[in-house]
Amino acid sequence: MVFKQGSKSTEVVMHTKQAHFENIYQSNYQKVIRVCRGYVNGNEALAKDLTQEVFIKVWQNLSSFREEASLSTWIYRITVNTCLLQFRKKKYLSDAEVFEHYVESPEESLPSKEEQLKKMYQCIQKLPKTNKAIILLELEGLPQKDIAEITGLSHEAIRVRIHRIKNNLTKCVQNDSI
Amino acid sequence: MTAFEDLKSQWGNQNQSEPPVDGAKQILKQIASVRNKQRITNGVLAVTGSILIAFFFYVTAYKFQSVMIGLLLMIGALVFRIGLEYSSIRALNTMNVSASVESFKNEIMSYYKRRKKVHFILTPIIILVYCIGFVMLLPAFKESLSAGFYNYIIISGIITLFVLCLFMAREIKKELLVLKGLMD
Repeated sequence: MVFKQGSKSTEVVMHTKQAHFENIYQSNYQKVIRVCRGYVNGNEALAKDLTQEVFIKVWQNLSSFREEASLSTWIYRITVNTCLLQFRKKKYLSDAEVFEHYVESPEESLPSKEEQLKKMYQCIQKLPKTNKAIILLELEGLPQKDIAEITGLSHEAIRVRIHRIKNNLTKCVQNDSI
Repeated sequence: MTAFEDLKSQWGNQNQSEPPVDGAKQILKQIASVRNKQRITNGVLAVTGSILIAFFFYVTAYKFQSVMIGLLLMIGALVFRIGLEYSSIRALNTMNVSASVESFKNEIMSYYKRRKKVHFILTPIIILVYCIGFVMLLPAFKESLSAGFYNYIIISGIITLFVLCLFMAREIKKELLVLKGLMD
């Protein structure tokens, strides 16, 4: 009887955890996939795979979330770290290499919005790993204080880096050099 | 609006991807299937180990010293290598993904530095031990097998070793590339 009650309460805890996870998944999917896209050059299929990996990690670490940080900061940390970790896999490596050799034709002096976005993804690929995370979070509109908390760098260091990356990224999109 | 603000607004206006219907349930299913695969892998490793031990006794290897040492070296090298890979996978899976990006990056970098030591120090030793074990078995093979089969064992052994080395070299190159990417 005691055993039955125990297994029933375990079941209830499991259901509550699943419902909580479902809620987190629905409300954070968009922002996770947008950051993931930045890591795979805008490739939607790869971004979806990465997003799935991120939510697997979210589920596996859900019980260790202590609310010392906000849920959003916690999810962004897992997203960036999972992207770093998954990058060792062949499918993500080879995709990054393909775009590293991409050269835009010179006659495209006035690129359309879509082409500019494509170029932006390519320029982001050229950034070192931490700078890539910083600019993706900045593009998401996160306050610098939160970016500092996610990356583990000081607020001042983030401010300086963002200024530099913004300039480099803008130059790269306009002139194809970083 | 500055050039960067313009880029930022374009970034924000990208097409939105809706979360898949039942996406969360699919993830939970995938986690369960990964757990099952891990159980199967553990089972396969346990069965392989048991078969190797059974084979050792089946051929009464313990009665012939050189055969016994040769087989033990080969089995030992193989088991040690599997153990190393297993602990590496465990180390990757237990990394704290909710740590700050910088400390997580340092964690991955030290993981890859440890892997580098495994690749450049332990792996050559393991291959050498495996080869010594194989060579120690050859006189016993020559004695008990036909000339054709003996030659087949030598040639296939060399080819297998060569293919294995090529495969490992490719994996090592890939891991070093990841380490280089993390260090920039």
